[in-house]
Amino acid sequence: MKKYLGPLSKDNPILVQTLGVCSALAVTAQLKPAVVMALSVTVVCAFSNLIISLIRNTIPPRIRIIVQLLIVSFWVVLVDLLLQAYFYEISKLLSVFVGLIITNCIIMGRLEAFALSHKPWPSFMDGVMNGVGYGLVLVVVAFFRELLGSGTLWNHQVIPKALYQIGYLNNGLMILPPMALILVGVMIWIRGSRVDR
Amino acid sequence: MRKFSNTYIYVYVSALVLLISVVLASVSIGLRPKRDANVTREKYQQILKAAGYKDISKKNVVSFFQEIAEPEMGNEPSEQYRIRCADGNSGIVVRVNGKGLWGPIWGYVVLSEDGTTIKGVSFAHKSETPGLGAKITDDEFSNAFIGKKLYNQNGAFTSVRVIKKGQEGDIREENRVDAISGATITSRGVDEMMRGVKRD
Repeated sequence: MKKYLGPLSKDNPILVQTLGVCSALAVTAQLKPAVVMALSVTVVCAFSNLIISLIRNTIPPRIRIIVQLLIVSFWVVLVDLLLQAYFYEISKLLSVFVGLIITNCIIMGRLEAFALSHKPWPSFMDGVMNGVGYGLVLVVVAFFRELLGSGTLWNHQVIPKALYQIGYLNNGLMILPPMALILVGVMIWIRGSRVDR
Repeated sequence: MRKFSNTYIYVYVSALVLLISVVLASVSIGLRPKRDANVTREKYQQILKAAGYKDISKKNVVSFFQEIAEPEMGNEPSEQYRIRCADGNSGIVVRVNGKGLWGPIWGYVVLSEDGTTIKGVSFAHKSETPGLGAKITDDEFSNAFIGKKLYNQNGAFTSVRVIKKGQEGDIREENRVDAISGATITSRGVDEMMRGVKRD
């Protein structure tokens, strides 16, 4: 089990490999979309890894990127269809970003670097863990952005109204993408300062 | 490394593409009724919200809507309904369409019987930014429209303008609401969309 835990911190896709930053900026203005996005990426990453690993010996190397894209797109479209049918509100919340999972470098990166050369089960776990590692960063960023930017968490007001009456204001910059970049930067900084080089 | 012939590559890719498209197409067709039902229910829910009904449980939305609303005669494509509002009076539901920053925005406006006063609105969007443009769906924004007038003091049609604080000019309080700060383009989109509010 321990060998799969790398993506949570040591090899975190966002903080260490700086992949998938783009979507981390886009969907983290509020917690709810961030969590659903993290789940979707985890599902797509895990199952794409699984399938690619299962057929890895049949894939001609010259067209492996094309095959990877096909498999990733398949899972993304499937996730999108299922969200639309069974979690309609959430699918609206995420709108275009689900489709953009296809271009998330984390997934292609794991297929290239791991699934093509490993057995199905480790590949599946690798996908899950990378999705979770990605999701952790999203949730932390979204937590601060929603709390300080809108005064809410999971759409519930948490900063008391009384505070607003004595002059407290939500930080408008928090809900804009640049602040997400700064928060991710701060997380990279904190993580980096605690690791021996 | 194993060698793969060109024929193998062609057959491999063709088979993979065929397989994937067949599976996805069947899933899409299989789930379509559910998706369509979601869309209809959401539309009814939105109209009910504009008409002042809060907390209608999801299951009852369709039957409740059909009970209190009926399409206005002769206006089939324009989606205009006559509805019994939460306050007991009847109102006219008008659909509006517009453009936001990233994609379409739309909404339902419930007008008083004489078509001069807004009884309620509810907006929706395809892909506005969460926390900014997406706020047009919040109660805080839509409640500001309640009771606003579509005609100015001279009786001319002005609709309800969506205007930034400090740029009101000589537009009366009854003819405007505050724009959402940080969401200039979406607010402007709502402003333009609201000009299309009129009873057919």
